[in-house]
Amino acid sequence: MTEKPSVVATLFRFQSVFGLLAVFVAAIIFSPRKNGAILFVSADNLANVVRAVSEIGIIAVGMTFVILIGGIDLSVGAVLGLAAVGSAVLMVENDWGFLPSVLLVLVTGTIFGALQGVATAMIGIQSFIVTLAGLQIARGLARIWSGGQGVAISYGDGPKEAPTSFALLGERTFGGLVPIPVLIFAVVAIAAVVFLRVSAFSRHLYAVGGNEKAARLSGVPVVRVKIAVFAICGLLASLAGIVHAVQLNQGSPNDGIGYELDAIAAVVIGGTSLAGGRGSVAGTVAGALLLGVLNNILALNNIDSNIQLLIKGLVIVAAAALQRLRPAS
Amino acid sequence: MRQDAALVRMERIGKRYGGVQACRAVDFTLGAGEVHALLGENGAGKSTLMKILSGDVTDFDGQIEIDGTPVSFGGPTDAQAAGIAMIHQELDLVPGLSVADNIFLGRELRTPLRTVDRRRMDREARALLERSGVRIDPRRPVGDLRVGEQQLVTIAKAISLDARVLIMDEPTSALTTTEVERLFEVIRELRRAGVGIVYISHRMEEIAQVADRATVLRNGEIVTSFDPRKLSTAEVVEAMVGRPVQTMFTTPDTDTGDELLRVDDLKLTARRPRPGRRDPDGISLTVRAGEIVGLAGLLGAGRTELLETLYGVAPTGTRSGRILLQGKEIRPRSPRQALAQGIGLVPEDRRASGLVLFHSILANTVLSSLPAYGRLGVIARRLERGASVKMADRLRLKFGRLQDEVGTLSGGNQQKVVFGRMLLTEPKLLLLDEPTRGVDVGAKAEIYRLLGELAGQGLGVLLASSELPELIGVCDRVVVLRDGRDVASFSTADSGEGDLLAAAMGEAAVIGDVL
Ligand SMILES: Nc1ncnc2c1ncn2[C@@H]1O[C@H](COP(=O)(O)OP(=O)(O)OP(=O)(O)O)[C@@H](O)[C@H]1O
Ligand SMILES: [Mg+2]
Repeated sequence: MTEKPSVVATLFRFQSVFGLLAVFVAAIIFSPRKNGAILFVSADNLANVVRAVSEIGIIAVGMTFVILIGGIDLSVGAVLGLAAVGSAVLMVENDWGFLPSVLLVLVTGTIFGALQGVATAMIGIQSFIVTLAGLQIARGLARIWSGGQGVAISYGDGPKEAPTSFALLGERTFGGLVPIPVLIFAVVAIAAVVFLRVSAFSRHLYAVGGNEKAARLSGVPVVRVKIAVFAICGLLASLAGIVHAVQLNQGSPNDGIGYELDAIAAVVIGGTSLAGGRGSVAGTVAGALLLGVLNNILALNNIDSNIQLLIKGLVIVAAAALQRLRPAS
Repeated sequence: MRQDAALVRMERIGKRYGGVQACRAVDFTLGAGEVHALLGENGAGKSTLMKILSGDVTDFDGQIEIDGTPVSFGGPTDAQAAGIAMIHQELDLVPGLSVADNIFLGRELRTPLRTVDRRRMDREARALLERSGVRIDPRRPVGDLRVGEQQLVTIAKAISLDARVLIMDEPTSALTTTEVERLFEVIRELRRAGVGIVYISHRMEEIAQVADRATVLRNGEIVTSFDPRKLSTAEVVEAMVGRPVQTMFTTPDTDTGDELLRVDDLKLTARRPRPGRRDPDGISLTVRAGEIVGLAGLLGAGRTELLETLYGVAPTGTRSGRILLQGKEIRPRSPRQALAQGIGLVPEDRRASGLVLFHSILANTVLSSLPAYGRLGVIARRLERGASVKMADRLRLKFGRLQDEVGTLSGGNQQKVVFGRMLLTEPKLLLLDEPTRGVDVGAKAEIYRLLGELAGQGLGVLLASSELPELIGVCDRVVVLRDGRDVASFSTADSGEGDLLAAAMGEAAVIGDVL
């Protein structure tokens, strides 16, 4: 009785990938040209597109996990800011080394996320509220840690200088083609895709998002799953914060404002259901890239930034509308 | 209008779901004042056929006539306007709303000021419920009700629509004898008033009691139609399954082993008591290895609550008394812990508590036994597939592909998935809460055979069921609960349904009427 899934079902399944392709093609068509060369597809520009996406992309991967269990994490932008500030302060003002600083920042983000998980899973406060509070707290911490100001990062071996090894994170590799932030994003995304495919934990995660009561009765450690998922999301947000600091050569408590919304947009465009239990990281990656290409082509054409916002909004609504049309597989 | 026009005439109805032909050229008629039973195995197409009549499924082949006039429904509202009401097999109430709100959903009663008239709704809801002989506070949220009570609410709701055609898709699957008996009285009353009723059930003994005519579906096609009072249950079952089913119940295996579970004067006082819950209030019982012990009792006697307490999902509160598993005291705190100790539970409400409906059959089947298929948290797909294919075979699951959504299975087959999931954990003690709710006779026999076989290997079973024939047929012993206490214990070798019923209702009740 094996039956091939219909063409329509396949189209919907890879909706975000096709969406990305469509936007990509549109970008080529509408790209400005210089001496006959299409600016959009130049290696430099493409590298920039992905580089610009990498921070949101890394965050969105973590956000996917949270949304898959039926939660939401509004604190990711603030945690990114906290991590950026942490990196700058530790390396510049406290003269810490590269590894200890990065480790402490990542651990901080992970614990921050885990605590939000505890509040959600054990006290039973809705994650929207927990992470709304978390957002304020992380911003507050970042302000306190930085003394309220952005901390500029300069590199060198002297005091008040960050180690040059840190600067390497912002460089390019593979013959100067691939920016390291892009590489980090790629590694995170691939690891997440593989993890969700093969691990027993991912089954638990999807089950919690699909029907929490059934999951608990089936012996799924619901509380542990939730805490772990929020911890992962915090970890990835702080990783994005480190990438952010190195790309901008500073850590400011105002970094990453509004990033949570872009990350949620990427997840939704990627076809993950806000109700939980359904979706994929691959979709999210496509969603993040789609937003990146869109931003890039609008910027290349010097479209007014307000119009850019408008177009982005429409794309999100269109993606959500497509999902409602999706046939039951 | 033709003189002989039936109330409902469905002609050459066909419906396909992907690779599954749910209905194939089905002709079905229903007269006014007729109770027409629809029988068939799980997945035979009964619900599909009736969803077509009730306007839930609009895309099908064939045609429907009401009073001799062809109709075409755009949705359930159209069908309701034509006087057709349906009690769905899978309860479709809104859990967050109260009983009264659910009954009057979409047609709320208004005060002269156009605000919702809660007082009148509560009063009428109470009257409706009392008509089917139950006392449920109409202000309670439906989500807090047990499955049987929800069933009664749906029935009350359907009756309140004053329909001319009432479709009942397994209305009694969670009801005990007393409630069923009252429902039948209501059905007889409606029949006298000229209502046409379609009655779907897997409980064979009900058919002869209530139906004027019975039609059997198999694989989406009509096999036969007959007068149920003239055929024996065995003949009916043979028509359904397509082959004779010899013994419905396996004879209990009497040589049982050591004591597996001992419950001593178990009491639970919930910190925040919920209305309608009957937590254990002094229950003592034992289950030996290899023994199948039944739990009987009326709706609300505390069967589900006892099982939940043993499985570690009871509400928080103070517990007194002791629970011993193989002689060691345990304090069940979570299902995870219970499973680790070898206790499994098949919950009563498969859709709310059992399945992730939009996940695959595979994912649902292996959810409790994942560690068995992998190492270091990585799952070997081959192993989990193998395990679930084997379990599906063993339970004779009717499905298309393992990756299909479990929600597309017929009700009985969904139940088998929940059952199979627990069996894959290889438990020592299996707690079953209405495990054959909505399961067809053939599959029931299969489940009973399986239970007997597992008991033979030393599994202990505690089986809560509202079906007395099932308790008598399957169990070695039956413990009767009333008001959260164990009031009697019978060996099934030398007692009958009457004894159980008398104990379940208490001395005060008059049992002669019910039997
Ligand atoms: N929405 C759906 N999508 C795909 N397949 C479906 C859907 N609904 C029903 N089916 C299939 O159609 C067939 C008939 O299902 P139906 O629910 O009518 O059976 P049934 O006779 O009511 O069984 P049961 O006694 O278990 O309730 C089954 O094989 C089922 O898997
Ligand atoms: Mg059915």
